[in-house]
Order: sequence, then structure tokens, then C-alpha cells
Amino acid sequence: MMKRSIYALALSGAMLPMAANAECGEVSVAEMNWTSGGIITGVTAFLLEQGYGCDVTVVPSATTTAITSLAENNEPDVVPELWVNSAPAYFDLAEEGKVVKASDSFSDGGTEHWLVPAYLVEEHPELATIEGVLDNPELVGARFHNCPDGWGCRIVNDSLKEAFDLEGNGIEVFNHGSGETLAGAMASAYENQEPYFGYYWGPTAPLGKYDMVSVDLGPYKEDVHACNQNTECNEVGVSAFPSADVFNVVTSDFADREPEAFELVQNVSFSNDQMNSLLAWHSNNQASIDEAVVHYLQNNEDQWMSWLSEEAQANLEGMF
Amino acid sequence: MATYDFIFDGLGLRGWCGEKTGGTMGMEELLARNSGETRSLWELPFPSLDNLHDACPAIAQTRGLTSGLESGFLGIKDALKVVVDPITQPLSWFLSGALSIFQTVPWFVMIPILLGIVYIASKSTRLVGMVASFILFLAFIDHYDYAMQTLAIIFVCSLICVLLGVPIGIAMSRSDGLQRGVIPVLDMLQTLPPFVYLIPLIFLFSVTEPKLYGIAIILYAIVPVIRLTDLGIRLVDTDVIEAADAYGMTDRQKLYGVQIPLALPNIMAGVNQTIMMSLAMVVIASLVSAPGLGVLVLRGIRNLELGVGLISGLGIVLLAIILDRVTKAALARVNTAQQ
Repeated sequence: MMKRSIYALALSGAMLPMAANAECGEVSVAEMNWTSGGIITGVTAFLLEQGYGCDVTVVPSATTTAITSLAENNEPDVVPELWVNSAPAYFDLAEEGKVVKASDSFSDGGTEHWLVPAYLVEEHPELATIEGVLDNPELVGARFHNCPDGWGCRIVNDSLKEAFDLEGNGIEVFNHGSGETLAGAMASAYENQEPYFGYYWGPTAPLGKYDMVSVDLGPYKEDVHACNQNTECNEVGVSAFPSADVFNVVTSDFADREPEAFELVQNVSFSNDQMNSLLAWHSNNQASIDEAVVHYLQNNEDQWMSWLSEEAQANLEGMF
Repeated sequence: MATYDFIFDGLGLRGWCGEKTGGTMGMEELLARNSGETRSLWELPFPSLDNLHDACPAIAQTRGLTSGLESGFLGIKDALKVVVDPITQPLSWFLSGALSIFQTVPWFVMIPILLGIVYIASKSTRLVGMVASFILFLAFIDHYDYAMQTLAIIFVCSLICVLLGVPIGIAMSRSDGLQRGVIPVLDMLQTLPPFVYLIPLIFLFSVTEPKLYGIAIILYAIVPVIRLTDLGIRLVDTDVIEAADAYGMTDRQKLYGVQIPLALPNIMAGVNQTIMMSLAMVVIASLVSAPGLGVLVLRGIRNLELGVGLISGLGIVLLAIILDRVTKAALARVNTAQQ
């Protein structure tokens, strides 16, 4: 009798850490193919794995592939940094109740800009406003670098192009074929210290790396922007960009299955300054995304500790 | 403690290595440090630059190599630009010229011209009928302009491929040394992902230049015409060459009078493949701002408009069938003329 209870005790003792793990099963997390997406995924995966004992699979992905997979296969469970404007199918899925917004990836939302390099604005301060740019098209190279076809921003930029009459003011609009060449054109102009004027969004690695100034497009007007965003609407007008919705999204299935892990994802959110400085650190140190994740974890323990449940906090206590 | 500490300690190089200052840490290292377990021999990491750097900070990390390449490229960029920019400039003129010609000529002139070319090349009324129905179908579903843009790009790029590729192939067939040198380059061109060299090219020319996608298409599509020209000339019967020698033909006469005519079926097969491969690059070219059906394919993919993607993809297939059948028919006529 005695022997048996000792045996049982030993067994239950051995089972204890596993019991904590057993609460969380397999979780798939999408990893977007850009730096900030990779960092958010890395941090989330680390906390789920080490804090909650989940069995995490990281799935390389991109906006369109992730949203298609969510719609058709109900996977991956967690999709961090989904720019919902570029994935309109998200709203249908949310309405159907297949996916849930867990949190804002960036506390101030994503930002969209028409940009000129800081070295141009230092020389010609008037370029910081759209009026200054329209009056002096030659100073910015007489060219606006526009989004590729099929991107959400392309529709808005095409409306703004008409509203500001860019072409009438002597600014040729160049439509890029892909995000890579858009970033490449900005980087190339910056390295050569040449004039540049174009669209980009943040927080992103290029905006963390290059010192660009957002051109003042005037105030944001909700109804005007809504029209600018709609290809059917012809009453285009002048409005700045609002902050863009960037969500960490989970499937409803995951929210029901892993309530504790879901609670964590609901807390994962970065401020824009924080993400920009992380991205700058990443490019200045030529670091890998993995190293950027560790750098964040080491230096922001208070922040991510506050996201965790008490049990998970205990699991991660003293790790750094 | 890094795995390879013992090497530097053993060789007495610790002083040379210096102290580790800050640096970055990966997830694996972090987890290993926290678990506190020492690695077994089974998990011995390869003595790569990064692993040696952990033991001895004086050894550069692998990222030193990549950043060195990058700064090296940025350093020679200006010199490179002076050379490469003017050489490739005609390509931009050809492309923008062809694009504007194909787009400004109205459809009721353009379609008969195209059909006329098809008839001259193939002498087959059935083929002309098929081509006409394809083009009219594309025009009927409002894809005519996009198809013409794609056709203009293919036309210019294939022509340049043939103009450059055939002489290179001939030169290769006459020199074994040149052949040994060129074949690895051709292998590389066919496998190197285009974006790897396209993004550096953006640093050399403006991204708005059409030559950017022109270069991408040509570098990929020029390979078959070079290979098959080389092969075709090398396959010419040695008896025939001997006979030509016996007639006292000069090298030039032999090349134009004997070798090229006999190699023509192979060269034409190379031209056919070159056209097909330049068509295969249309979507990738659209990623570097080429107009045409590729733009529609990309739009379809990005917005999950499956119909748009399928129809424009079908448009590319129809163009491919037209170009393939017409060049094959021309090839068949060359073959029968020889027999």
C-alpha cells in the first residue's frame, strides 16, 4: 500500500509539468514575409511555446495566401500583422464568424504616406507639404512612385492623383509592378541622394532604415477617404490617409479551443515607435529576424510579461 | 561557452581573438543557455564562420560576407552605371517604340497585318483562321490592348535574343574553349532567380526604364537559341564539311553556304523555344513594371479575383499557341525546302 502510493506520487510528480503543457495543443502561426511580421510572429510563437507549452508550427505566408488559407482551410490558427485593407476578404470572414480580431498589431495602427527624403526637405523646406511639391515638381524628380496594381493603396493613390491633379502639375505617375521595385526605387534614390517622391507604408524595414519625411496632405476626412477608396465613386477629393487597420487575427476555432493562448494573442501589440526602433536595430546590426526577436525579448521583459497569464509568467520567470 | 573555444585556447590565440562585445543572440542560443544542458557530440555544429565567431570574435561572421558584397556593389555602382547604362539604352528605345507602335496602330489595321505575317510565314490558311479566331476572341473580351502590349514586348525581346544569340552560338560552335566557358553562364542564366539581379539593376538604372524588364526577359530567353545554334552547327555532317573543303570554300563561304543552312532546322527550333521562354517571363516582367497580360494576372492573384487571373492566363496561353504554331509552321517549311 505504502509502496504503491509512493509510486503514484512519483508518477503524478513526473506528470505535473506535462499536465501544464497538455492544456495547450498544436497551434499554427503564420509568418508574414516581411520583417515586422516576422518579429511579431517570433515573439508570439516564443511566448506560446515557452509560456503556455503550445506545440507551435510557424507557417511562412503572405497577406493573400494567409487570407485564402483562412477562408478555405480555417488555418493557420494565428495570423499576425494582417493588413486588412489589402485583404478585403477578411471582412467577409469576420462577418461569417470564421475569424476574430485578437488585437491591433500596432497600437497607433499602420501608417501610409506620400514621402520625400529628409535630405530634400532640409534643402527645400517647402517640400514638406503637398502644395510645395506641386509647385516644385522638378525638385522631387517630377515623378510619383505609385503602388502596384491590385493593392488597396493603388485605388486611393489613383483618386488622390486626380484630386491633386499631379499630372497637370507636371508630376508623372509611375505605376510599379511590385512592392520590391517600389522599395528598390526608394532605396536607390536614397543611396544616390537623388530626388524622390512616392508612396510607402509603415512600420516597415525601409522606413526604419531611410530617413523619409511624410508629405502633409492636409487633414483626414472620413467620407472623402471612403470615396477615394472606392473604385465606383467618382467624387474624389483631398484627404490624408487615416491610420490603417492592422490586426492580429485568429480563427474562431482557435479562440474556442485555446482560450488561454487566445488571451495572450489579444495582448500582443507594439507601439509604432517601438517597432520602428526594432526594425532600425535589425537593419543596423544586419541581424536575422530571430535575433531581433531575442533582442526584443531581452530588453522589454516588463511589456511582454504583462501580456501573460500568471501561470505563463511563472514558466518564463528568470529566463532573462 | 561556445563549442569551438578549445581550438583558440589550445592554439594560444585567445589574446588575438579579443573579448566579445555585445553582439546579437539567436533564439536557439537563448533556449540553450536557459536549459543549461551541455551539447552532446551528436549535436556538434559545423565549424562555420558564425560558430567560430562565437568562440573568437576576431573571426568575421557570415553576414560580413553579405554586407561586404553589398557595400562592394554600392561602391562600384557609379562606375558600372557609366558603362552599362548607355549600352542598354537602345533596348529602352526599342521597347517603348514597339509598345507605342503596337498600341497606336488601330485594330482594323493591326489584325490584318498580323494575319498577313502569319500567312507569309506558314502559307497555311487553316493556321491563319485559327490565329484570327484567337485574336478576335481576345479582342472580344477586351483583352486586345493588353495582348498587343505583351506581343510588342515579346517581339522586341525575341528579336534581340536571335540577333545576339545566333552569333554567340556560331562563335561557340567554332571554339571548344569558348563553349566550355559559355555553357556554365547559360546554366546560371536559366536558374538564377530573376529578382536576384533585377533589384541590383534598379540601383543602376531608373526603375521606370523599360529596359529593366527587357533585360530580365532577354537574359532568360536567349539561352535556347544559343544552345541550339551551337548544337546545330556542330551536328552538320563532317562529310559535307570535307566536301566543302574539297571545293576550296573559304571559312566564310562554308559558314553561310553550308553550315548555317544545314543547321537552320535546329536554329529555328531554338528561336521557337526562345519565343516560348520570353512569353513565360511575362508575369515576372510585370513585377518590374512591364505592361501587358502579366499585369492582369498579378491583379487577379493579389485580389483573389480568380476569374481575372484565369482569363488573362488563358490569354497568355493563346498567344503562346499562336507564336508556337506559326514558328513551327515556318520551321516545317524550312525542313521541306531542304529535302
